[in-house]
Amino acid sequence: MELQPIFIQILALAIFAVGIIVAISRRNLFFVLMGIELALNAVNLSFVGFAKTLPAEASLTGQIVPLFSIAIAAAEACVGFAMVILIFRNRESVDADSYSNMRG
Amino acid sequence: MLALIYFIILAVIALGAATCVLLSRHPLYGALSLVVSMVSLAGIYGLLGSPFLGVVQVMVYAGAIMMLVTFVIMVLNGARDSRTPMFDKVSLFIIPAVLVLAALVGVALVRAPLGFDAATIRGSVAVTSETLFNVAQGGPGYFILFEVLGLLLLSAMVAAVLMAKKRLGSVDSENVEEKH
Amino acid sequence: MTNLPLWLIPLFPLLGTILLGTIAVVSSGSKKGAAENIVGGLAVIFPAMSFACVTVLACGMPESGIRETLCNWIDFPLLHVDIGFLFDGLSRIMLLFVTGIGTLIALYSIGYMHGDRGFARFFAYINLFLFSMIVLVLSDNLLLTFFGWEGVGLCSYLLIGFWNKDLKNCKAANKAFIVNRVGDIGFLLGMLCLLSIGGAAVLNYDIFNQFMQMILNGGHLDLVFTLLTLTGVLFFVGCTGKSAQIPLLTWLPDAMAGPTPVSALIHAATMVTSGVYLVARMGKMFCMLPEVLLLIAFVGMFTALWAAITGLFQNDIKKVLAYSTISQLGYMFMAAGVCAFDASIFHVFTHAFFKAALFLGAGAVIHSLAGEQDMRKMGGLLKKTPVTACVMIFAFFAIVGFPGFAGFWSKDLILEKLVSNGPVIAMPFALGGSVNVPVGMILYVVGLATAVITAVYMGRLIIMTFFGEYRGSKESEAHIHEAPAVMLIPMVVLTFGSIFAGYLWADMIGITFFKDSLAAALGGAEAVGESILSVHHVNPVLFAVLGTLAALLGMFIAWRVYANKKIPTPKDSGAPEGSAAAWTFVWDYIHVGFVFPVRVIAWICDVVVDKFLQAFQWTLGAIGEILGDGASTFQVRRVRLQLALSITGVALIVLVALFAEGIVGIPDFVFKLIDSVKSLLGRVI
Repeated sequence: MELQPIFIQILALAIFAVGIIVAISRRNLFFVLMGIELALNAVNLSFVGFAKTLPAEASLTGQIVPLFSIAIAAAEACVGFAMVILIFRNRESVDADSYSNMRG
Repeated sequence: MLALIYFIILAVIALGAATCVLLSRHPLYGALSLVVSMVSLAGIYGLLGSPFLGVVQVMVYAGAIMMLVTFVIMVLNGARDSRTPMFDKVSLFIIPAVLVLAALVGVALVRAPLGFDAATIRGSVAVTSETLFNVAQGGPGYFILFEVLGLLLLSAMVAAVLMAKKRLGSVDSENVEEKH
Repeated sequence: MTNLPLWLIPLFPLLGTILLGTIAVVSSGSKKGAAENIVGGLAVIFPAMSFACVTVLACGMPESGIRETLCNWIDFPLLHVDIGFLFDGLSRIMLLFVTGIGTLIALYSIGYMHGDRGFARFFAYINLFLFSMIVLVLSDNLLLTFFGWEGVGLCSYLLIGFWNKDLKNCKAANKAFIVNRVGDIGFLLGMLCLLSIGGAAVLNYDIFNQFMQMILNGGHLDLVFTLLTLTGVLFFVGCTGKSAQIPLLTWLPDAMAGPTPVSALIHAATMVTSGVYLVARMGKMFCMLPEVLLLIAFVGMFTALWAAITGLFQNDIKKVLAYSTISQLGYMFMAAGVCAFDASIFHVFTHAFFKAALFLGAGAVIHSLAGEQDMRKMGGLLKKTPVTACVMIFAFFAIVGFPGFAGFWSKDLILEKLVSNGPVIAMPFALGGSVNVPVGMILYVVGLATAVITAVYMGRLIIMTFFGEYRGSKESEAHIHEAPAVMLIPMVVLTFGSIFAGYLWADMIGITFFKDSLAAALGGAEAVGESILSVHHVNPVLFAVLGTLAALLGMFIAWRVYANKKIPTPKDSGAPEGSAAAWTFVWDYIHVGFVFPVRVIAWICDVVVDKFLQAFQWTLGAIGEILGDGASTFQVRRVRLQLALSITGVALIVLVALFAEGIVGIPDFVFKLIDSVKSLLGRVI
């Protein structure tokens, strides 16, 4: 049995699911951010997996878009952790549920 | 066959590490598990014929971003909130929901006809960078995105510095005054 | 020919504006303001450099002029406009005195504005004005001219309301701006009409002239005659706004609220003449439209006469000069109305000198009397301020047309042209038959009468200000002083101008330099106009004698009436009262007649339409708000739970999609369930 594209997609799906679960079910802000990173990674993997099913030039797109995605993830992490620092300084807590200022 | 064996090994490591992130109590352990997961994903990229992407993954994700994460965790002493429970009622609701969603998408994926293409280009450094910096008139034009990305990173950096900076007269200092 | 680029001319005042504006903004916070000598020096240097450029260019200008295109401005199928400059005989004359007098008045202002809080601001405005005026005159197309046109309007507004602490000044500034807008609409619509006749590129003056020539040569005039007449009238409306002609003249007397140098520069010498400039620039078009020419001539005539009579009743020294300016502008339009564009530009030129001198003299008088503008409180200043008095008296001789002075040459030239070019129109009677009306003669007689009145009111001004006894309070008399040298020098220079400027075109002694220099820019228009108007030559000496007699008569009347007259004790206001007020403000009353319906419409819009729309708006908003409030009660107020719910929702959607696509089979019991529900419903119904 050879390596099939569907295996890659299934793996990406699994990692994505774990990432979303981490991001939403954990209340610690660090875990929220790490879950998002995990989900982003899974999407990148999915991109590459699909790219490999396309011929010639078309397959390059799927390999370049993750590059941008990684760079944007870096920017997101940068701002995200700055926000965590700011929030932590104001509330002395990293519990996501303790920030309910915007509650309607 | 060999590729499948490598893939299974890497996939098990990646998924296992991701589960470790979910289950670890201390954020630092979570971050370290995340690094493992990302490195094994980089291995899968290499296996699939995108070595450049794999290297970038290791450098940016496993290197830079996770460095930032661990640094912030250490600075803020994130273990302090050991009082908050790992999972609560929402978690009990979310885990089945996500699993059902994943299962449904998985069903759709399995039904879809997918197969590797023989003529796929190997995403080596040379090819990738040639496509990325192709400034020809009718070219893909990724270089514009690249420049914009530079701006985005710069502004993100400025925003991060501005936000994390301690300001006079902020809520922080007011709180301190109230305590006194 | 020199290689000096044309854009240098507007560049210097623009730089000056930016620099002085920066200084004004920066120093606005400080208590003392910027150092006056530095600011003043800068303010004079930029216009002076511009003047130097103009002089150099003027000396080396080829007969056909210099054209220069900076860049494209607007380019689409309906409209093609470049930012370009045209330096020919007409713009040369205008630029020479705009920058020259601008420099002199900037110099004068250093003395006049000494100690004022907005010193730097004032000069920034002056430089901006010069920039706009230069763009207006130098541009090679109508749209760029319009840019300058609006620019000078803006500067006029800013400078009239310069002392904006006083509500009266602000109102005067608003009035000037709004009345000018009415004229500007004419200008804009005129441009649109022109575009619709001549195509995309016709706004360029060269192409405009070629186009008019083509219409004339091809005999296509009757095809476009109606639209072209409309265009001419619209452009003339624009000119009446800027040049304060009937009916849009009420703003100019009020504009005297600004500092006196501003009145001299903007509201006498340069800006108000831009309407005359525009008519001359478009002479090629106007000369083909006898009806429009007649309109211009008669509007000019009425304006000249009315403003001169009004000038008789003014007590404010600046108001007298303002009405005199309107009257002189009327002369210029009269000349333009008989196709004598060169004569009208010549009068613009000489008028710039003597009116600027008069205003600066008035400014010096006001300065020496510490802000007093009411002539009834002046008198006997000849001994106290001899230089100012001499300047004023020489300029007075120039304006009344005393032989040898500038006004003599230009005004008599206009009067002569009125007769020689004046059309003879067959007026049909209602009962049949017609009579030939010698329009030229009518214009001439009114013009001559106006010249007499001019001499009377100007004589009154001179007598009330400089002769007799001082009528102000004793303590103020002690403070009267001659203006400083920095103010006197420009005044003296302008006085020389107002004596000798006329000799550039002294027909009687055979000098036609001015006419020749304008010939290339205007000649075509004059020739066409003269062929249409059937010129007959007249003896210039006769007109000179008649003009001189008119001036002498006016001066004699002024001396008889005012020299020994007991001047009534002044009231608080300098405005005329009684029947004189009716004369002065008649056009204001007419304007009110137009403004009132607009106000009514505005009130209706405000109360009915606006409220209606608001009610509609509120209704919509209220509905949205109620719906939103209702919806928000369903909201789960916890972020994570919300996310969880939304993921569940996504899962449901995916499920539905999969069912719909048939990728996942629907179990049989679902169909059975639906069937049983249906049968249940059927039984119930």
